[in-house]
Amino acid sequence: MRKRWTALFLAGLMAVSMAGCSTPGSNVENESKTEEGTDGETEGGEQKVFRYSVTSDVSTLDPQKNNESTSGTIGYHTGEGLTRSMDGVVHPGLAEEWEVSEDGLTYTFHLRDAKYSDGEKITAQDFEYAMKRIVDPKTASQFAFIAKPLENADEITAGTKDVDELGVEAVDDNTLVCKLGFPAPYFLQVISMSQFYPTREDLVEKYGEEFAADGDKNVYSGPFCLKEWKQNDRIILEKNPMYWDADKVNLDRVEILIVADENTALAMYEAGELDYVNVPTDAVANYPDAEFYKMGAEDFIKLNTGDGPLANKNFRLALNYGLDRKEFIKLSTNDIWEPATRFVLPDVGGFEGTFGEDYPYEAFPLEEDQKKAEEYLNTALKELGIASASDITLELLTSDLERTKKEAEVLQALLGEALGINISISMIPFADRVERENKGEYEMVVSGILPDYPDPISFLESWETTSPYNHCNYSYEEYDNLLQKAYHTGDAKERMDTLAEAEKVFMEDGGLVPLQFRMNARLVSDKVTGVTNYFSGYSINFIYADVK
Amino acid sequence: MAKYILKRVLISIVTLWVLVTVVFILVRCMPGEPFQGEKMTPEIKANLEAYYGFDKSLPEQYIMYVRNLLSGDFGYSMKYLNQSVNKIIAQSFPYSFDLGIRAIVFSVSFGIIFGIIAALNRGKKLDYLCVVIAILGTSIPDFIMGAILQYLFGIKWGLLPVAQYLGFRYTILPAVGVGFYTLAMVSRLMRASMLEVVQQDYIKTAKAKGLSKAEIVCSHQIRNAITPVVTVLGPVVASILCGTFVIESIFAIPGMGKYYVESVQNLDYSLVLGMTVFYGSFLILSNLVVDILYGVIDPRIRLQESR
Repeated sequence: MRKRWTALFLAGLMAVSMAGCSTPGSNVENESKTEEGTDGETEGGEQKVFRYSVTSDVSTLDPQKNNESTSGTIGYHTGEGLTRSMDGVVHPGLAEEWEVSEDGLTYTFHLRDAKYSDGEKITAQDFEYAMKRIVDPKTASQFAFIAKPLENADEITAGTKDVDELGVEAVDDNTLVCKLGFPAPYFLQVISMSQFYPTREDLVEKYGEEFAADGDKNVYSGPFCLKEWKQNDRIILEKNPMYWDADKVNLDRVEILIVADENTALAMYEAGELDYVNVPTDAVANYPDAEFYKMGAEDFIKLNTGDGPLANKNFRLALNYGLDRKEFIKLSTNDIWEPATRFVLPDVGGFEGTFGEDYPYEAFPLEEDQKKAEEYLNTALKELGIASASDITLELLTSDLERTKKEAEVLQALLGEALGINISISMIPFADRVERENKGEYEMVVSGILPDYPDPISFLESWETTSPYNHCNYSYEEYDNLLQKAYHTGDAKERMDTLAEAEKVFMEDGGLVPLQFRMNARLVSDKVTGVTNYFSGYSINFIYADVK
Repeated sequence: MAKYILKRVLISIVTLWVLVTVVFILVRCMPGEPFQGEKMTPEIKANLEAYYGFDKSLPEQYIMYVRNLLSGDFGYSMKYLNQSVNKIIAQSFPYSFDLGIRAIVFSVSFGIIFGIIAALNRGKKLDYLCVVIAILGTSIPDFIMGAILQYLFGIKWGLLPVAQYLGFRYTILPAVGVGFYTLAMVSRLMRASMLEVVQQDYIKTAKAKGLSKAEIVCSHQIRNAITPVVTVLGPVVASILCGTFVIESIFAIPGMGKYYVESVQNLDYSLVLGMTVFYGSFLILSNLVVDILYGVIDPRIRLQESR
C-alpha cells in the first residue's frame, strides 16, 4: 500500500514536470525568439520592436465589418484608404490626388501605383468592391451607416435598391469616381476609415466566413502586415515591405498584448515588458509624468423629452444650470476627466482649426449657477402646474458598471440638492440599458457618444427629429432646419457656421445635460518616440514611431 | 459494473440534452438585444438578424442549433465576427486546461498532505498551522490572492514573471492562485474525514490485530478518509480545468475564463451556448468519472449496484 502511494506521488510529480515542458504558450516565446534571431542575422542589425497592450481582443479584422476602436487601430496600421487621416488632418493615402466637383457631390480619385503585401496591384475596382460590400445587406455590417454620404447607400442597406446602384464607379484601374447623395465635406475623413480600405474580392470569396479571421487570410495595403493573431492573447504586426511609403516606417515589429486587467498592464510596463501603457484612473495620482489625451468619448444625461417635466424647456435648463460639473468630476473620477460645458467635442475638426478653436463656446458654467437654476425651475413649475419641486420624481437609468454606478449616485445627490427634486436610480446590465435606451423606455439615462469621424455632425445628427438614432423623442424645428441647411450647403465655411449655430440652439433648448469628456493618461518608455493618440479612426498611432 | 457504468452514461446524455435545451431558451430570455449600438438602424438590425438566422421562428432555430451541435458545430461568435465558437474554445481551452492541471496537482497533493499532517497532530502546533492555511485559503478572494502574489513575487522581489503564459516560470503564480482555495478545502475535508475514520471499529480491529501505526494510517485510515475528497473533486476539477475568470484576467492568460463572463455581457448567444454546453459536458463527464471511481474505491457501491 505504501508503495502505491509513493508511486502515485511520483506520478504526480512527473505530471508537473512534464507539463512544465509544454505550456501552450511556450512555443510562442521560442518562435518569436528564433525569428528575431534569424532576422537579426540576415539584416545585420537588431529588430526595432514596439510593445503595448489593449484591454480586450479585437472583434474582427474584416475591414467592412470593423465596429470598434481596437479593430480600427489595427486596421489603420495594416491597411490604407484613399486618404489617410492623422490627428484629424486628411493626407493623401492610396489616392495620390483628387478633384471635387463644384457642387461638392462628385469626387474623382487618382490612385498611386501601390501593391498589396502579396505583390498584387491595388486597383480602383478593389475600392469599388469594398464600398459596395459595406452597404450590401448580405454583408450585414453594423457599420453600414458609415457609407451614408454615398448616393443610394441607405436605400441599398434597407434592401430597396440594388447594390450596383451605389454612387461609386471604377473608371479604370487607377481612377475612382464617388457620387454623393448630399455635400459632405467630411467624406474625405470618412473614406480614411478601415471600412473603405481596398478589399480583394478573390480573397473574400476564397475564405468566406473565415475571411480575415487569421493573419494569412487577408492581404495588407498599409504600413504593417498582420503576422499573427492569437485570440485573447496577442496580435503581432510586421513591417510591410510592399507599402508605398515603407521607407518612412522605422519599426520592424509591433507586439500588441491583450491584457484585460489594467493594473496588470501597468505592472508589466513597470517590469519593462511593455513600452506603452494607459494608466488606470485610480492610479493616475501616482504617475505625475503621465501625459493626458482625450479618448473622444463624451458622457451626458440623455433626456426623454417626450412628456412630463422633461418636455419642458425651462425644466431642462434648470437641470443644466443646477449641476455643478466641477464637483461632479471631482466626486466621480478624481478630477481626471474633463467637465463638458458644451455638447460638441471641441477637438473635432472645424473650418480652419479645431471646432473648439474656431467656435469657442461655454453653454453652461463649470460650477452651478444657483440663481439661474432657481429662476428656470420656478418658471418650469408654474408652466407645468406643479406646486413644489419635491413633487417631481425622475428615474435615472444607468448600467451596473462600477463607474456608471458612482456617476449616477453623484448626479442623484448633486441635482437633488440643487433643485430639490427626487431622482430614483435604476441600475441594470449594460446590454439591457442600451436596449431600453434605444426603445425610448426611460426618463433620463446616463449615455454617451464616441464620434465615428471627427466632425460635429457625428454628435449633432442623433437629435434631428427624423434621425433613426433619435431615441429620446426630441424634436425642435429650428434645430432640424439648421441641420438640413448644413447637409445641403456646398460651402464648407457656411456648413461649419451652421453646425456651430445648431449646437448653440440645441444647448439653449437644454436638449441634454453634458457631463464630461473622457481622458486617458499614458506612459511611454524613453526608448520610444513618435507614438501619438487620436480619438477617431485609431486610438494610438505608431506608423512613424521609432525605437532607440 | 458494466451495467452501473451504462446507466451512468445514459443519465449523462439525458442531462446534456436538458442542459442544451434549457440554456437555449434561457439565453433568449436575457434582457437586452445582441445587436445594439448608438447608430443601429432598424434596417441594419434586420440585415444582421437575417445573417444569423434570427428571423426564423424559435423552434426552427432550435432544431438548426441541435442539428449543428450533433455534428460538433457551435456556430460563429456574434461578438468576435469571423471566429467560430469551436475555434475560440480550441484556442483557449488548452491554456485553462494546462493551468487547471497544475493547480489541481498542486492543491490536491498539498491539500491531502496538510490534512493528514493536521489530523495526525490534532491539537498541536502543526495542526493549527494547517488550519490557519485552510482559513486563509477559503477566506481570501482570488482577486486579492492573485494581486498579492503578483505584487510580491513579480514586482517586489522580481522572482517570477508578472503576467502572461509563456513557460514553466509563468505558470507558478497563477497555478498557486487558482489552486489555493481548493488546497484549503481539500485539507479541511481530509482532516475532518481522517478524524472521523479514526473512531471507526475497523481501526480498532486493526490496532487489535497488532498492526503498526504507520500501517494503520496508510492502509486503513487514509484509504477510507479519501472518499469524500474524491466526491468533491469531480465538480472542482471541471470548474478549474475550464478556466477561471479572475486569475486568468489578472495574469493575462488567454484561457476560457473571460468568455463566460464576456459572452453573457455581450449577449453573444452562440458563444454563451457554446461555452455552457462545453463546460456542462465537461462537468457531466467528470461526475461520471467520479461515479465510476467510486465503484473502484468503495467496493460497497459496486456490490450494491450489481445486486
